[in-house]
Amino acid sequence: MLESIGNRELIVLDGLGVRLRGTYHRPADRTHDSTTGDSTAGDSAASRTKLNRTGVLFVNSLSLPRAASGDSAVYWADSMAAHGYPAFRIDLPGLGDSEGEASPDLLDTISSGDLAAVGAGAAKQLVQRFGLTGMVIFGHCAGAVSALFAGAASSECAGLILLDPYFHLPQAKRPKVRQELSDWARRSRVGAFLSNSYDRARKLRLALRGSALPGNANSALLARWKQVAAAGLPILLLKAPGIKAQGSKPRAGEFDYIGYVLKLAGRKSRVSVDFVEGADHSFANHAGRKAVERLIAGWLTAQFPLTNFSPSARNVSLLRVDKKQNESRESQAAPADLGCALEGR
Amino acid sequence: MQNQHHLNEQLEERAGYFPVSGAHLYAVLHEVEKPVARVLLVGPFASERHNSYLPWVRWARSLAAEKIEVLRYDYRGIGESTGDFEQMTFADWSDDVRLLAAWFADRTPHAPLVLHGLGMGAVLAGRAFDEGIGDALLLWSAPANANQALRATLMRWVGLEQIFKFGPDRKSASDYIRELEQGAPLEVDGYRWPVSLWRDSFEFMLPAALENEERAAEKYERPVRIVKLTREAAPLAKGGLVGYDDLKDFNWLYAPNREWIATVAAQMNKGVAYA
Repeated sequence: MLESIGNRELIVLDGLGVRLRGTYHRPADRTHDSTTGDSTAGDSAASRTKLNRTGVLFVNSLSLPRAASGDSAVYWADSMAAHGYPAFRIDLPGLGDSEGEASPDLLDTISSGDLAAVGAGAAKQLVQRFGLTGMVIFGHCAGAVSALFAGAASSECAGLILLDPYFHLPQAKRPKVRQELSDWARRSRVGAFLSNSYDRARKLRLALRGSALPGNANSALLARWKQVAAAGLPILLLKAPGIKAQGSKPRAGEFDYIGYVLKLAGRKSRVSVDFVEGADHSFANHAGRKAVERLIAGWLTAQFPLTNFSPSARNVSLLRVDKKQNESRESQAAPADLGCALEGR
Repeated sequence: MQNQHHLNEQLEERAGYFPVSGAHLYAVLHEVEKPVARVLLVGPFASERHNSYLPWVRWARSLAAEKIEVLRYDYRGIGESTGDFEQMTFADWSDDVRLLAAWFADRTPHAPLVLHGLGMGAVLAGRAFDEGIGDALLLWSAPANANQALRATLMRWVGLEQIFKFGPDRKSASDYIRELEQGAPLEVDGYRWPVSLWRDSFEFMLPAALENEERAAEKYERPVRIVKLTREAAPLAKGGLVGYDDLKDFNWLYAPNREWIATVAAQMNKGVAYA
């Protein structure tokens, strides 16, 4: 068994007493740093090299393994590495291949920021080990919540990439009756009419409440957001089309958290928000993953320009990525995941 | 932080890659000293992998805790394994089972090799067993052919998709199947299913003798256990919610299956002939 192949290397980190497993995607100009093929190499050349550039750390989205839906995290990590940014995908304790036991109340654990220390610790270890200048932490959905908490707890955090973050406290499971009612509303005309009426009623209630936060807002998370965003940490926030939503605006009757957090960030903030047309909530569908890839590449090169990246190596890597993309054809958007914390908002 | 090599000396779980034609298979070995048996886990397919990863890993760990060495892996083109999913065939995935089973069986000290497949993995494991690979076979939710496994995945995906669609935008599973059969690839949970995958799946059959345990015993004269998982086993079986059902306690499922493996292995280790 090999620990290192091509541009990938398996890594092990200390997750506050448990071993975390992960995959390192070497930047395109450093693919030969490691002693590929030697399973006994262990402390490879790559791990001894000081990369002196910003890395990207992916954390799990809820309980999904580090490859994420449709292996989208693998795809993006490969792409970032092709652009010269070392990328790391890790499994948090009890998830994927990492040791430990995930809490049966994982959603609550994430929402309360209990994974922040381990995420920040992983970033610190990787920055030290690979000689990075800092770490951008990447998270999707519940993973975006983990990323934000970890970023606020990490002095190594250089930026955040948040895909469909949420700022409320989601219900662990929707009552069955409500779930069936929602399903009926989507199926039938009468149901659709009632659903629209319900949205209008909620919109009215929202208008009466003014700009006050909903009762289920995650105040601890919002405080961390204010801490990092107001301090000018570069943040890229990507939004997929929501259920019955118009563009980046929320569904009628839903609180506009994105608008709220942008105000909270203040004038000195460096927050970029992009709406990813054609993406599903997982962003794993072809249209979604390509758009995310493009947006992240643009954002990374603008925020963290590489001065020590060999363009020739980059060209080679990008050719490889482009070839794969060209082989694929466009397709319709796939659905979001029912298990997602956003459902039941 | 310690490096991989240093930790490997203490780790019971060792992750690595196996080279195969044009790709690398990611595998995790749950290493056991003097194992009573070895189990090769042939797991859930494509998007099902992600949904059931936690109970699958826990199953591997529960076996290793009982001195049963386990090797689990990702299919070529899926998860941590490399390769282009769209280019893969059932022949490639069958080759991977053969390669890993051969590597695993060669480990010392010798111990009986059990193949264990779930869903699509049951078809792959069953076919390998039919070729004479492995000393025993454990099947969970074995479909009659690969197409049934694909349909189960498709149904789950359609169910999720419908949550986000209203009225006429909602497509049924039959609509998607019709599109596939008319020659259009389909993207399911981030995996693009080529038409060839769907077409070939009808012919990729579970061996007929594995229809039930009696027929299997008669034909193979090696232990075979066939378990049909119910909804309670979600997300290992159809249904369930990611982040909720994958975190529940599965010991009710693990314990009897683990005991079966241990019993079968004990008999083999004592040289008791299978009857």
